[in-house]
Amino acid sequence: MARDVVAFISTRTGASLLVWLLVGIALALPAGLMLLQANLSRLTADWGGGRPSVSVYMKLGAPNAAELAAQLERRVDVEAVALTTQDEALAEFTAYTGLGDALIGLARNPLPASLRVTFAADAHADALAAVAAAMREAEGVADVVVERTWLARVNAISRLASALGWVLGALFGVGAVLVTATSVRLAIDARLDELKVMKLVGASDAQLRRPFLYFGALYGAGGGLVAAMLVSLGLIVLEAPLLDLLGSFDQTLALVGFDAVFVATLVGFGSALGMAGAVVAVRQRLAGLDVM
Amino acid sequence: MGRIEFLNVYKRYPSGFEALRDLSLVFEEGSMTFLTGHSGAGKTTCLKLLLCLDNPTHGQILVNGVNVSRLSARRLPHYRQNLGAVFQDHKLLAARSVFDNVALPLRVSHMREREMRRRVSAALNRVGLLERESLLPMQLSTGEQQRVGIARALVSRPKILLADEPTGNLDPELSQDIMALFQGFNEVGATVIVASHDRALIESLDNPVVELSHGMRVR
Repeated sequence: MARDVVAFISTRTGASLLVWLLVGIALALPAGLMLLQANLSRLTADWGGGRPSVSVYMKLGAPNAAELAAQLERRVDVEAVALTTQDEALAEFTAYTGLGDALIGLARNPLPASLRVTFAADAHADALAAVAAAMREAEGVADVVVERTWLARVNAISRLASALGWVLGALFGVGAVLVTATSVRLAIDARLDELKVMKLVGASDAQLRRPFLYFGALYGAGGGLVAAMLVSLGLIVLEAPLLDLLGSFDQTLALVGFDAVFVATLVGFGSALGMAGAVVAVRQRLAGLDVM
Repeated sequence: MGRIEFLNVYKRYPSGFEALRDLSLVFEEGSMTFLTGHSGAGKTTCLKLLLCLDNPTHGQILVNGVNVSRLSARRLPHYRQNLGAVFQDHKLLAARSVFDNVALPLRVSHMREREMRRRVSAALNRVGLLERESLLPMQLSTGEQQRVGIARALVSRPKILLADEPTGNLDPELSQDIMALFQGFNEVGATVIVASHDRALIESLDNPVVELSHGMRVR
């Protein structure tokens, strides 16, 4: 039976390649978006656990930084408060920039002490606003920076990619089912005489259906492989601009998700969609098969 | 399995055409009966109902006491595997060899390869086509194609053989040859029903005749 299916596909190489390509395109876009979403999530996780934070910059010489830090740490929605004293700020500046000598000539250290407040995973957005407002009012505070803008954007893009992935996955999934259903229907039509005779001599419905289910599964699996190749091609094309983009955030490119499991999932999912298409076609075409 | 009964069978198609009207018939086990009548009299409908390719609108069709029109989808294939059917247009697969055409019912019933080869060779030998097993149907004459169809019907050794206008395209001499094959099969105990409108052929043989007209039995 498997030999029959392979033989049939080999006699329709052009049409089969076209079906594989169509199913592959249908799967590649949502799969690519899912991959993008997975990497964006990882990106935001790496950059501060994906959580917003508040940086509080003290006035120069303000003595109450440690007191404010202790006050913030008592809040249940705050996970950690990192205090950077003026001296530590100068040391970090010197280490990062190598320009520490330039500041030695100044009468006093111009860098303020600061607090970096990291919120708990389940902290509500209102907590962020409340802390920022309280700190702005606190004595000795020069500035409060809510560091959520870019993170929020990345998170929003990640959520959008995920939602788009699901929507496109559903739409293109239906498309893939219809493409394989049409192809399987053509295959059924090409073997209609044989099916009629098989039914006459006592073939069960399962026997009539089985080769076409294999056929659909093979079309879907091939489409999944093509989708994996297209995603891989897309990654090659996008690698350079992604490196540039991530470089501007001091990050390096380490894409995750495109591995053997991803390819196997695509092939398996494609195969399931192909089989679903075959079921649709077989139900439509074989239900009222008039053999005499 | 071999006794067939039609009990008050009606068949009305969706178009409104009434193919069978209150038809009651009995084909005894081991009999060979001609089913005759004009075109549209209901002969083919009777065979279709017996093959469970359609259901009667009303009435029962009993094969050895079992109402076959109520068979479940799971039991239908097994029932059909125990029927042999021969058609005027042979219904052979053009791209398959004579051997493969005859072997089809055995492949469907998952018979072992060696036993299948033995059975197919025996069936082809019986219809005189053993030497032509590797040819394609289109390489055979019409009479030979019909004999391939008969070999396919006999290969699974069914208890019932149904033939729908089996000699429709054949000359009288070939028709007699085909009938001789059916009679030989009937002599070993099978119930044979031959639907035919070839009156000359029917009258040349001494078998029971059931004549239909407008879906009703008239003889």
